[in-house]
Amino acid sequence: MTNIEFRAILEAAISGDREALDTLLSLYMPLINRLSSYAGRLDEDCRQYILLHIVQHISEFHI
Amino acid sequence: MSPTSTKDELRGRFTRWIVITAQNAQKNYLRIEDKRPKTVSIDEIDLPVTDTLMSEAGAISGSFDFAEQHLADAFRELPLMRRRILELLFVDELSPTEIAQKLHCSVQHVYNQRSLAIKRLRERLIKEREK
Repeated sequence: MTNIEFRAILEAAISGDREALDTLLSLYMPLINRLSSYAGRLDEDCRQYILLHIVQHISEFHI
Repeated sequence: MSPTSTKDELRGRFTRWIVITAQNAQKNYLRIEDKRPKTVSIDEIDLPVTDTLMSEAGAISGSFDFAEQHLADAFRELPLMRRRILELLFVDELSPTEIAQKLHCSVQHVYNQRSLAIKRLRERLIKEREK
């Protein structure tokens, strides 16, 4: 993904575009999975909690 | 500053933002998890112990409360957002207005989700009773 595409997706995601948000989050899934794993096991509830938190606060990010 | 470096800066800044936001969420989650009472799956307990516990529970309450178990099962099957709204309403005892602010949605949405969730739970419990 080029930087121009990234900016477009980020702007769309912040303004509430579901598809853009999905694409953006999938870019960061390895990070989110790592934070949701304990002793090599993925905690689905933790992952869901983190995703929900990001989605709720993404509009606070200023481009 | 060239246009390319501005865009690189944006990506880097967003990555730092998402790392911090996700870490904060993880810490919150762990804090909530810690407050929950520790539970052990009934399958992990030795049978004689389970039998004793069950007979003690039976002696106290007369019989196991199946209605409560069905309610818990039905609750677990609700979509995440509805579950969250019911928890905030009945466990944290927040008002629909406070919930709407917290979840960034309209107050009407909270009312709608509450009615839908309660309707679903009621249908499910009636179905269980008829079985």
